[in-house]
Amino acid sequence: MKLLVVEDEPSLLNSITRYFRQEQFICEGVSNYADALRRIEDTPYDCIVLDINLPGGSGLQLLKYLREDKKKDGVIIISARNSLDDKITGLDYGADDYLTKPFHLPELSARVKALLRRKYSDGNALLDLNLLRIDLASRTVTIEGQPAALSKIEYDLLLFLVTNKNRVVSRQAIAEHMYDGPSDQAPGPEFVYSHIKNLKRKLKEKGCPEIIQTVYGLGYKLVL
Amino acid sequence: MSQPLQQRNTRSLLTWLPLVMLAGSLFFYLILMGHIRHMKHQQLQLKQNNAWAAYIHDTIHIPARLPGEYQITPGTLRADSAADSANLAFLMQAHQLNGQSYIVTTYISAKEYRHLLIKAGLAEATIFIVLLIAIVIVNRSASRRLWTPFYTTMNTIRGYDIRQSKPLSLDTATDVEEFDRLNRTLLDLIDNVDQAYRNQKQFTENASHELQTPLAIIRSKVELLIEGPGLNEDSAQLLQEITEANERLSQMNKNLLLLTRIESGQFPESTPINLSQLLERLTHYFRDYYENEVAKTTVTVQPNVRITANPALTEIMVNNLLRNAYIHNIPGGWVDVRLTPTALIIKNSGPAIEGDPERLFDRFRKGRVDNRTTGLGLALVRQIAQLYHYNIRYSFRDEVHELEVSFH
Repeated sequence: MKLLVVEDEPSLLNSITRYFRQEQFICEGVSNYADALRRIEDTPYDCIVLDINLPGGSGLQLLKYLREDKKKDGVIIISARNSLDDKITGLDYGADDYLTKPFHLPELSARVKALLRRKYSDGNALLDLNLLRIDLASRTVTIEGQPAALSKIEYDLLLFLVTNKNRVVSRQAIAEHMYDGPSDQAPGPEFVYSHIKNLKRKLKEKGCPEIIQTVYGLGYKLVL
Repeated sequence: MSQPLQQRNTRSLLTWLPLVMLAGSLFFYLILMGHIRHMKHQQLQLKQNNAWAAYIHDTIHIPARLPGEYQITPGTLRADSAADSANLAFLMQAHQLNGQSYIVTTYISAKEYRHLLIKAGLAEATIFIVLLIAIVIVNRSASRRLWTPFYTTMNTIRGYDIRQSKPLSLDTATDVEEFDRLNRTLLDLIDNVDQAYRNQKQFTENASHELQTPLAIIRSKVELLIEGPGLNEDSAQLLQEITEANERLSQMNKNLLLLTRIESGQFPESTPINLSQLLERLTHYFRDYYENEVAKTTVTVQPNVRITANPALTEIMVNNLLRNAYIHNIPGGWVDVRLTPTALIIKNSGPAIEGDPERLFDRFRKGRVDNRTTGLGLALVRQIAQLYHYNIRYSFRDEVHELEVSFH
């Protein structure tokens, strides 16, 4: 999968590209408008992570250009400006998703993968992990053929961990991901533990081995 | 004690004016008395002269005594003598005719003079009283007219709110130089204060905005670190503490930014919001998320309750109220949410808050030492409620916190 990250803050750009490269993505990073435009013209990308405020132009302009040129690259906008306007404009211009800065890297990764899944799913909305099958359309989980009764929060949690499989996901990232309220006001991660515990118990009841590991007090890792 | 200007002015007039008038009356009375005494003397002297002149001219036919007028008797008098009794005043003088000494006494009635004195006194008192009333009335109406620009200025200033960036308009051409100067000074003052306030706000907003990037960088670097190969229990503990501190900082920063944005009116767009739907969604989430901590959540929501406000702000307000009810709870506690067309009432079990409940909504005011909260959640609620003139009421009784937001 080919990924382009357009972000003007070099340190953040470095974090993002490094994070994706650890997952066998081919990930390129640029930090200004002109470079981004050149890359977009040269190569088709599976997904572009696009910052709005760029030296030399706006990310929205890039997006407009991309869509007018009938390019099908998936686009996720990342913006520090947490205003509804940016979000609406971005989605109107043909962005596939919108993420407010600051975000957690596993969250961005989950969004990118969800986008790629939608883009290349060919109608089969199933996540098959041998052991686990997740039906994305009906939001159900089956373990070795047996349905597991998960609550909405537990389903979201499992999907998030599966999407970030074999990686450590911090409790904060999980708490924010599970949150359903205004983006600025996510609760703290104190209760993630109890939901993980419930999820583990339910998976175990269906005969699923211990796939969720606790990484010290930091976070969790789903190992497959 | 302070009194209104008018009252104070009238009071001082009524205190000093009668005193001045009393002194004036006394002076007038003394002068009048002096004049009357002089006049009496003149008249007695005139009568004396006339009576004596007539007598010496014709001693046969002019009687020596005319009661109430004069009396001529032979005799000697060492000096002139005059006296004033209640009804009569007389003057005795010695005269010589053909070597013979006579005493001539002339009389006039003193009653008329006393009457004159009383009448003049009464007239003067009437004039003084009328004058006093007239002065007070004229003074009051004149000062009312004179001070009108002052009261206008005062009312305008009272209606001024620095948070609403509405310019203040004060008349600097009131026809009174002092008021013009006062208004100009006030305008300058408010201008400066307003400028300082806006700078301060802008600074907070800029600072919060600028802080976001380094905070995001720290977060991303920590997230890369936790996957690094060298992670052990010790470093994990350190990373955990860094993460927690950074997340709190980040949340505080977001809330501060939000507060300043609300203050500077950056959420102008209002739309009708179905509060019932919003509440159903959020309570559902909170109930699930805190199900292991807070045992029971009851929700009574009347369908299709609508308010007109900014959707993002409404969601933040409801969210923060709900979260507050769950976080400041007791293990195995409960939360009760009710929505009526006019109010949102959230009750929850929980320990008593320490300190003044009035200050519950202040910034960085926390019920207890707790690193789960930023101390800005309820400040945000209040800010939003103020924006839409919602009324917030908080009470704590029998281990139950009750928070009510009324929309009208």
